[in-house]
Amino acid sequence: MRTWLVLFVIVLLLAMLPLVGDNYLLRLATTVCMYAVLAQSWNFIGGLAGYPSFATAAFFGIGAYTSAIMQNYGAPIVLGWGSAGLVAMIFAAFIGGAILHLRGHYFAIASLVLAEMLREIINGMPDFAGGGKGLNLPILPISVTAQAQFFFYAMLGLALVCTATAIVIHRSKLGFSLRCIQQNEDAANILGLNTYAYKTAAFSLSAVFVGFAGAIYASWVSYIEPPDVFDVLISVKPMVMVLLGGLGTIFGPALGALILLAFEEVVWRNFLTLHAAALGLIIVVLILFLPNGVLSLWNDWLPRKKPAR
Amino acid sequence: MLAIRFTRISAAAFVALGSAILLGDGPAQAQDVLKVGAPLPLTGPLSPEGLKQKRGYDLWAEAANAKGGIKAGGKTYKVEIIYTDYASNTPRAVQSAERMITEDKVQFLFAPFGSGATKAASAISEKYRIPMLAPSASSQEIFDRGFKYIFSTLTGNETVSEPIAKLVAAKSKNIKRVAVLARNDLFPLAVAQEFEKAVKAQGMEVVTSERYTIGAMDHSAAVTKMRSANPDWVYASGYINDLILIRKQMNDLGLKAQVITMIAGPAYAEFANTVGPLAENITSMSWWHPAVRYKGADVFGSTEAFNAAYAKKYGGEADYIEAGSAACGAILQMAIEKAGTIEPTKVRDAIAATDADTFYGHARFNAGGQINALQPPVFQLVGGKPVLLWPDAIKTGELRLMPK
Repeated sequence: MRTWLVLFVIVLLLAMLPLVGDNYLLRLATTVCMYAVLAQSWNFIGGLAGYPSFATAAFFGIGAYTSAIMQNYGAPIVLGWGSAGLVAMIFAAFIGGAILHLRGHYFAIASLVLAEMLREIINGMPDFAGGGKGLNLPILPISVTAQAQFFFYAMLGLALVCTATAIVIHRSKLGFSLRCIQQNEDAANILGLNTYAYKTAAFSLSAVFVGFAGAIYASWVSYIEPPDVFDVLISVKPMVMVLLGGLGTIFGPALGALILLAFEEVVWRNFLTLHAAALGLIIVVLILFLPNGVLSLWNDWLPRKKPAR
Repeated sequence: MLAIRFTRISAAAFVALGSAILLGDGPAQAQDVLKVGAPLPLTGPLSPEGLKQKRGYDLWAEAANAKGGIKAGGKTYKVEIIYTDYASNTPRAVQSAERMITEDKVQFLFAPFGSGATKAASAISEKYRIPMLAPSASSQEIFDRGFKYIFSTLTGNETVSEPIAKLVAAKSKNIKRVAVLARNDLFPLAVAQEFEKAVKAQGMEVVTSERYTIGAMDHSAAVTKMRSANPDWVYASGYINDLILIRKQMNDLGLKAQVITMIAGPAYAEFANTVGPLAENITSMSWWHPAVRYKGADVFGSTEAFNAAYAKKYGGEADYIEAGSAACGAILQMAIEKAGTIEPTKVRDAIAATDADTFYGHARFNAGGQINALQPPVFQLVGGKPVLLWPDAIKTGELRLMPK
């Protein structure tokens, strides 16, 4: 109950942001919500089941391209967005069936090549998907501020649904089974758990919201290119965010997204060219001093509460 | 335990400090300053090109301020260019553009590098009705969307494809087989497709048409395939780092042709300096060349004066990116002075109505915003220096074929 209350208060506060912020602040907030979705999604497979998936960029790109291609063939925006998540989920279910028998580094590498593979496929389809020239999406015929608010609320809504799903999963049999798999997959198997089905479910869950996020992103920027939506950083940043916020926790991924993006913005504003090095340094410092994520500070200072995991 | 607690507290203090920097950062508002935002790839793989644009912008700002600033409507504005680094990452370029408009309150924008990033960022300038001048975007796809606030100082890709096809066809009837290698990216792909059209119009045959991925570090498979097609003419498109690598691998793998054409890299002095003797006889096209001679009503006044100003500040000669970037500023300045205001939508109309000579060439834009009164020169590298082959008015030599 307390978790739901926290979620409700956070979302309510965030929903009032357009009252105080300008369009750029809304852009940053939209980005934070987007990465919160990505990090939360990664947490299903990476945090709960302990499978280090690098497939986030693949799902994101699939979502972006599904929606963009459909809209280019005349589909309405709602249909494009809706299909994006489903296509990403179906893709994850099929690919998951093929690569989830791999573990550890082998799984990481198999999931890493997915985005590279899809990027090459899109590159090789200049007529259908724009190839290396990218694809245009229709710009919404509403004012700039209305657009900024629309995309902010869309991403915030998605982040809300994604976090709500996480709360439900964490308390369900699925969440329990995934934690069993993380601790000892063979033992879980012997006890009669269908680990293969649970892992595939987690992998599909980690795809569906990312697919939606990709579709919203594509409409938001109105022009996508393969190197932008299949960027390996889209896979890596959510992992860093989850580690920063707290692995396997409910609010850790969103908190990590906020912290990382806030640091990125501060560093980027204050150092014209050294920003990448400065950001790297900050991440190293944070991970060294806070190996269990920022949420562990909270749990340390409130010793009477049991840790959230 | 105490030590651990302490380090955690210091980490928390670090976080607080970071937030303080964020809050303490506010743009200073000054009177009568003309603010132009310029998101550039100052780091990452496109940084050589990003630094070129910066040199051009800085040169213009310095020239405009040295003459007392820009006069419009009884006021004099000092030029201030606000830079951000988007680290060769296109989404970040788009974010930069929005930040500059909403936070830094820039009145005008200079575009990021290349057709792809310019196209992406133009969605922002269009939304906010801020004119954006682009010195390095030539692809049709940017200008056929009916956008009103994007202007480019580069002519379309066909203007850097047709002249060379005609030149080569006129030089030799034996050049029939053309092999094309293009970077799978907006400009290089589009220009290669225009080139294929142009050579087919001259009755030549495209025997292979290969593409490579952005950031590719090995071209041996494509080069080998091209070699087996036995081409008379090899054409490669990409940016300078790609083309240097391709030229070296062509040599390693023994791919030869009577004509080797590359775009866009040989126009920069760095190309010939890096590949040395392998640069010999490579042909290329450039939208501008220091050897052109134009007189203009802009802040520089003439090509000679621009060249002198460039040599004084940076040494050496400018290439088309540097000149085009300075031209963006010069054209913006002329439009502001003509409009008599710095109100972005009025200046936009003045830019669209521009029909004037500049040090860079005659400036006039088509309905899509692309400059359409330039004749991009064709040149060939001989002894590490460009020899101009076309247009005839500034020609300094004849096309030379290479032995096969």
